[in-house]
Amino acid sequence: MAEAEKVEVVIVGAGLAGLACAYHLADAGLETLVVERGDFPGSKNVTGGRLYLHPVRRFFPPIWEEAPLERHVTKERLTAMGEGSSVTFELASERFKEKPYHSHTILRAKFDPWLAKRATQKGAIIVPKNRVDDLLWREGKVIGIVASEAEIHASVVVAADGALSFMVEKAGLGQGRKPQDYAVGVKEVIELTSSAIEERFGLSDGEGAAQLFFGSLTEGMFGGGFLYTNIDTISLGVVVGIGALMEKAPGFELHRLLDSFKERPEIKPLIEGGHPVEYSARIVPEGGLESMPRVYGHGILVVGDAAGLALNTGLIVRGMDFALASGALAARTIIEAKKRDDFSLASLSRYEESLKESFVLKELETFREMPHFLQNPRLFNLYPQALAESLERLMWIGEEPKEKISTTLWGEARRLIPSAVGDLLKVWRI
Amino acid sequence: MSIDANLALDAFKIDEESHIQIIDEMRCKERCQTRQCLYVCPAQVYTLGQEGEILIRYEGCLECGACIIACDIGLAWNYPRGGFGVQYRFG
Amino acid sequence: MQIVVCLKQIPDLQQIRIKRDTREPVLEGVPLLFGDMDKNALEEAVRIVEREGGKVTALALGSPKLRDTIKEALAMGADEAVLLIDPAFADSDTSTTAKILAKAIEKIECDLILCGEGSTDNYSGQVPSRLAETLGLSQVTYVRKLEFTEGGLRATRDMEEALEVVEAPLPALVSVTSEINEPRLPSLIQILRASKKPLQEWTGEELSLSAHEVGKEASSLEVIRNLAPEQERKNIILEGKIDEVVEQLTDALTREGVIAR
Repeated sequence: MAEAEKVEVVIVGAGLAGLACAYHLADAGLETLVVERGDFPGSKNVTGGRLYLHPVRRFFPPIWEEAPLERHVTKERLTAMGEGSSVTFELASERFKEKPYHSHTILRAKFDPWLAKRATQKGAIIVPKNRVDDLLWREGKVIGIVASEAEIHASVVVAADGALSFMVEKAGLGQGRKPQDYAVGVKEVIELTSSAIEERFGLSDGEGAAQLFFGSLTEGMFGGGFLYTNIDTISLGVVVGIGALMEKAPGFELHRLLDSFKERPEIKPLIEGGHPVEYSARIVPEGGLESMPRVYGHGILVVGDAAGLALNTGLIVRGMDFALASGALAARTIIEAKKRDDFSLASLSRYEESLKESFVLKELETFREMPHFLQNPRLFNLYPQALAESLERLMWIGEEPKEKISTTLWGEARRLIPSAVGDLLKVWRI
Repeated sequence: MSIDANLALDAFKIDEESHIQIIDEMRCKERCQTRQCLYVCPAQVYTLGQEGEILIRYEGCLECGACIIACDIGLAWNYPRGGFGVQYRFG
Repeated sequence: MQIVVCLKQIPDLQQIRIKRDTREPVLEGVPLLFGDMDKNALEEAVRIVEREGGKVTALALGSPKLRDTIKEALAMGADEAVLLIDPAFADSDTSTTAKILAKAIEKIECDLILCGEGSTDNYSGQVPSRLAETLGLSQVTYVRKLEFTEGGLRATRDMEEALEVVEAPLPALVSVTSEINEPRLPSLIQILRASKKPLQEWTGEELSLSAHEVGKEASSLEVIRNLAPEQERKNIILEGKIDEVVEQLTDALTREGVIAR
């Protein structure tokens, strides 16, 4: 017989969702244990890296100003990449410079330990270096966890174990993992001086830039590139759909996409002289609302990436704000359940209700069609290439006299119309 | 950069036992033509041996899980034991 | 048997990154833990007490982060812990560290003091000997096997080319090597229960040590720089038939003085 202990709540995983949940539970005086398999909270966690704070402010006291945030983003760029050309849109707005800031770049191995410390100060117990191996069941209800042959009993288990959640699988809450519902991202962190970063991106002290890329860099596959400026590093990465990746031929090497991306003239001067200091990878839920698991079960709640709470609209990539909010909402549900002393399925189902009432599921509902729309390969080969080419033709002065602008555009349009009309109609529906 | 140079940037704590197993080599040989594990893995954990078998370098696994999303027949995959595996310093 | 185990809190060396430009180690954010051989010493103490009864006191000197780090020692089986935390202790050299530890041990009843032979970070191996001398105790170093006799201990010392078996009366100080045992990995339950074990904190005042007697002021050794050695990679790639390549490889390694033929 294994040794056993009892706590009120066990949280599996010290990421943003798990820690946010622990913070609130401990604050309400509930005995909370977070079990983390890494050496410290954050040591297994990877972000692209940007956190939108406005949506989560109302779920927390004003703690964010002291968080180890990297830079507040004041410059947004979107780049459509063709083979030998690219088009970049840049949005610079004074509004991004107003406090409290709109979004921040972060690095998880710095950010998560800070949030963990805040949760610990509230009274949560966080145990790193321990992997949760299984759920404990009694009469069809989750009653705890098994970790290194020890049993921990709890009124509620919170699955906060990330995009590849074994807890969701073991609890039977998932729909099975379909390759088209996930992307895999690789990232390099490149060390530069802060002055070089500010000079190269035209930023003032503490300001940051965020840039998303789509087009030829993913060789026609669903996905894109990203670049975020941190204090003295740059996070640079490529994300591609696993479904699309599976259609590649053997011999293809995923990290080479990142290598080629780094060689592109749009990127190379930005990272010149920088030293790579980390190479990381993670999977990203891309399926949206329709591929989410059930977020509650008997004795268990699912938060953050484990619940598939991530959103990619092509222009905006979100997940960490959903993670923080879902963790806070799960905590709220558990605190109320504790007050009623009712941890039944019906009582825990309030969590799903609260997610639906919050921005989390409202946004995922709004963008319900997005995953289908983004599966369209034309977005990643035809359109970015055509956009860059047609602008190039408009700008190019050769030996021959220029044709009318309308003629150039019409020429491009004729090439695109057959598919573009349909695709535009789809955009309308989103 | 080569994948080894990439992985050399990271801190790994290597367990004696692999957290990844091939369930049955014959099953991979007979039922899988595409060998997706070879190219969905961002760390090139999987390589092809001389006899066409899949070799596993679990030591450099970044624990992303792309392989078990792509492969639903051949792999027994768990996270490394607590305190082992990759430890990110930036994340 | 009452045993005190001295433990040194060090950064996790596997997670230290070296800055390429300056060769300085990046210590910020690196998790802290106890040295490998310190854990061997603790494991040995726990085994002795499990076998013969008594109590294990974990003793550590360092930063306030010890309050967290010590949990692993308590989870591994120490019955209680004493932390020596005082800003004045910072930058103490090995001699001053031994002096502070000695003052603390004088306040703890004990028959045996166990230490790791050297710390995993600096490996100067000075503190155990200095501590024994300060306390006026017999000392046995490089111990890879420890037994007890009527009124004393019998230890097997690892002299690399030979083993030496010695006996000493108790109380004594023993420093151990990694061969003595395999330290246990505490279970989650043990970690949870560790936070309920008695934990004391002593400052210089409680040890009757003034600020002049400790820290940088009292230390004759000062760390000026801490840099990684310069590394040169030759990047020699040998290609060809495996037998020939192996031959070339052994030749190359012999030339470099890595192996002797």
